[in-house]
Amino acid sequence: MTSLRLTFRLNGAAVSREVPTSAVLAELLREEFGCLGVKLACSRAVCGACTVLLDGAPVASCATFAFRAEGAEVTTIEGVPEDDPVRRAFAEHSAFQCGYCTPGMILLAKALLARNPQPTREEIVAWMSSGLCRCTGYQMIVEAVEIAGRAGAAA
Amino acid sequence: MNEMPRADALDKTTGRALYTADVRLPGMLHAKVLRSAVPHGLLRRIDATRARAMPGVHAVLTRDEIAPGTVPFYGYFIKDQPIVALDRVRYEGDILAAVAAETEWQAAAACAAIGVEIEPLPPVATIEAALAPGAPELFPDPPIGMVPHYGEGASATARPQPNVCFEFRYRMGDASVFAACDHVFEDAFRFSRMHHLHLEPFVSVADCSRDRIEIWSSCQNPFPLRKEIARMFRVPENRITVHVPYIGGGFGAKNNCKTEPIAVRLSQMTGRPVRFCLTMEEGFLTNTQHAAVLRLRTGVMADGTLVARQAEVLLDAGAYSDASPLVAEKAGYRAPGPYRWQHVDSVCRCVMTNTAPAGPFRGFGGTQAAWASESQIDMIARRLGIDPLEMRLRNALSLGEPYMPGESGIDSDLGLGLRLVADRIGWRSTNRQPNRGLGIALGFKDGGGVNKPAQARVKVSTSGDIFLQCGTVEIGQGVKTALTTIVAEIMGAPAHRVAVAPINTDSVPFDQGTNASSGIAVMGQAVAQAARRVRQQVVEFAAEMLNVSPSDVSLDDWHALHGAERVPLAPLVMRHFGGTGFEFSADGFFKAKHDPRAPLETPCVFWEIGWAAVEVEVDRETGRVTIPRLVVSGDAGRALHKAACRGQDEGAAIMGLGQALFERMVYDGTTLLNGEALEYRAPLAEDLPAEFLSITQEQGHGPGPFGAKGMGEGAMLPIAAAVANAIEDAVGVRITELPITPERVLTALHAKQESAA
Repeated sequence: MTSLRLTFRLNGAAVSREVPTSAVLAELLREEFGCLGVKLACSRAVCGACTVLLDGAPVASCATFAFRAEGAEVTTIEGVPEDDPVRRAFAEHSAFQCGYCTPGMILLAKALLARNPQPTREEIVAWMSSGLCRCTGYQMIVEAVEIAGRAGAAA
Repeated sequence: MNEMPRADALDKTTGRALYTADVRLPGMLHAKVLRSAVPHGLLRRIDATRARAMPGVHAVLTRDEIAPGTVPFYGYFIKDQPIVALDRVRYEGDILAAVAAETEWQAAAACAAIGVEIEPLPPVATIEAALAPGAPELFPDPPIGMVPHYGEGASATARPQPNVCFEFRYRMGDASVFAACDHVFEDAFRFSRMHHLHLEPFVSVADCSRDRIEIWSSCQNPFPLRKEIARMFRVPENRITVHVPYIGGGFGAKNNCKTEPIAVRLSQMTGRPVRFCLTMEEGFLTNTQHAAVLRLRTGVMADGTLVARQAEVLLDAGAYSDASPLVAEKAGYRAPGPYRWQHVDSVCRCVMTNTAPAGPFRGFGGTQAAWASESQIDMIARRLGIDPLEMRLRNALSLGEPYMPGESGIDSDLGLGLRLVADRIGWRSTNRQPNRGLGIALGFKDGGGVNKPAQARVKVSTSGDIFLQCGTVEIGQGVKTALTTIVAEIMGAPAHRVAVAPINTDSVPFDQGTNASSGIAVMGQAVAQAARRVRQQVVEFAAEMLNVSPSDVSLDDWHALHGAERVPLAPLVMRHFGGTGFEFSADGFFKAKHDPRAPLETPCVFWEIGWAAVEVEVDRETGRVTIPRLVVSGDAGRALHKAACRGQDEGAAIMGLGQALFERMVYDGTTLLNGEALEYRAPLAEDLPAEFLSITQEQGHGPGPFGAKGMGEGAMLPIAAAVANAIEDAVGVRITELPITPERVLTALHAKQESAA
């Protein structure tokens, strides 16, 4: 099996690993780096549970080759600080139930607010529709993103 | 006042929450299975010789590796599902063999190297095909099974006819009242099948490498799982430990045995821990909702008074019985709806087909029943020229009125909720827009399970840290938060002093499972009793130490209050018990009392109600239905955590909306066409109604602590019927089959045009 050495930044820290060329990003993050907050559900880049940020852009890590991380900044839920306004909004507004989609939803929302700090409700709904949540019925997630947006604006 | 975040908020928003899918053990192997591509056939030969020699393979489990003396079947009332296929396969996806290997890839490669010969038998794909005279039988020899004891009016038969594994019947009153009715209406309905689509897959890790079987499982019912594994593998229950970490959603699917028997057997064979994690695609083949055909015959008076109802419900149970008999009890029993009847005659049959096994699904037969019943009530109202809201208000059971003879009284004011959602949708508004219509529906189910005991333990340490031990699992519903609130309130302690112990069947008291919305109304009562008892111990201890009367002592944040005195308890405990201290501990118990008159052994613990009112807009050119406004409401009795209650109602309602409009498993014969995430369309944020209002009522009549009731299923029940009712209001066509696709609406609109022309 061909392998290659990857060097990238994971949650702010420089890391390096020898990985098979066929390695998938989600597996690398979970198995090699212990980022168990990267959740695997559909494994087909549909549900969004495995979403991580690659240089700030949300990607489905279950369907992204690990080599895409070379030289990039990778952010998983483990890299989101406790005082992050999006994380806090999800926690305090109870915008989660079983929690399996939550890391992906939080990272997805962070990517939206980084691009568009004051999104409209329609923009939030459209953007967050790339994540599947089977529990909440979405309305409280949409509201949490609105709350986080307002918190960011006030900061 | 802002309420505290849920008890699991930090774990779940930081990625620290541990699920079974995250469990790793040293030396752990991975399992994969080979599934049948043939829907029905005789397993002539299975040969794993080549697979056993593949790289990384430690064991292959076929019918030849079932340990002598063990019982390789599981199921609820009927033990009909084999660990791996024995002599026959019964659906596309039936498990033929399992492999344990160093990696999942190696296990999958070895599965592909297993030689299989299946002699095809003619399959049955649908309820109608399975019941046709001369239909091929899935179980020519009846499997082991039992029929439970029922009370007044209820009865059941195992295998009343070929391809029917169970029939439930409920009768009340005299059928002769039909003769006095002004009208008798007969209508038929079809209910489509969904998959639960829980995001955490079916997964377990089993370790049989030591003197006991240890299992980590994403399972709602750890104690029934323990019992079933003990029965199958002939191992004492005290040699089996089931651990349940956080569960990433279930919606009914994660009941009893799923992945566990294979993980256990492979671990026995290899002496290594084995992880068996299904893909989402395999999830579709493992457990589903019941498709159904429902026929209602309802007698009414000209003024809209309901008199009598006959119901026939046929559930598609799929290839194995799973919990189908239990779902049949509920679908049959709930078919009349929460109305006043003089006569009911309801029958529900579980029909076996060569499709994926169906089992418990949020609503548990109530969803099927409510779809038909609430559609027909509306149809009858419109035929008689009566306002559908008035029709329901006139016939709905009153607060406290028994559902059926021998039953408990309805513990919500049904009319209050009906008027609430009707007002919010603008039921009386005369400003009607073309192609828009309003619909209303009333969902209900008996909640809390049948004859279900609950036990809990509350302990307090010397320093006042409170332990709650009970078997109810946190599957997303917020039960940790709600039970914590109960204990904290009774103990006079802040919620952060209470921690819920991890679930381990050796250390938490017995529990029958996390199901039937029973966490608050059943387990909550046991938890409250345990907390009150331990509080009493502490109060008596403090009174003795302070030399005062217990009735003059109260507790506040681990201080004893006596008059103006506020005495810290920790020093008192150490003075009496020594410096290492002590733990106060008490157990609580709850079970509904047996009553021979109650149709289902015990009177229902509580009634779970869902009210919905909806506005639809129908595009006459495409048949597409959109939802400008949806109002749903449940009754929490008392909301122990308002945001969690709101989340339950909203999640249930959106699940119901998906079922109403588009979500379904599509079969071509016995072949599932859309059993994966992309083609299986489940609701996304973009499917939210433009306006979506949920109202958590707190009517205060629940049997749980502080008047609380169960939550989580009710708001799903009325949605589909409310949408169909609104469509008739909008464009005058009645859709009786789910989901209400544009094609079905368009076909109905064309048929209406033609009949008018």
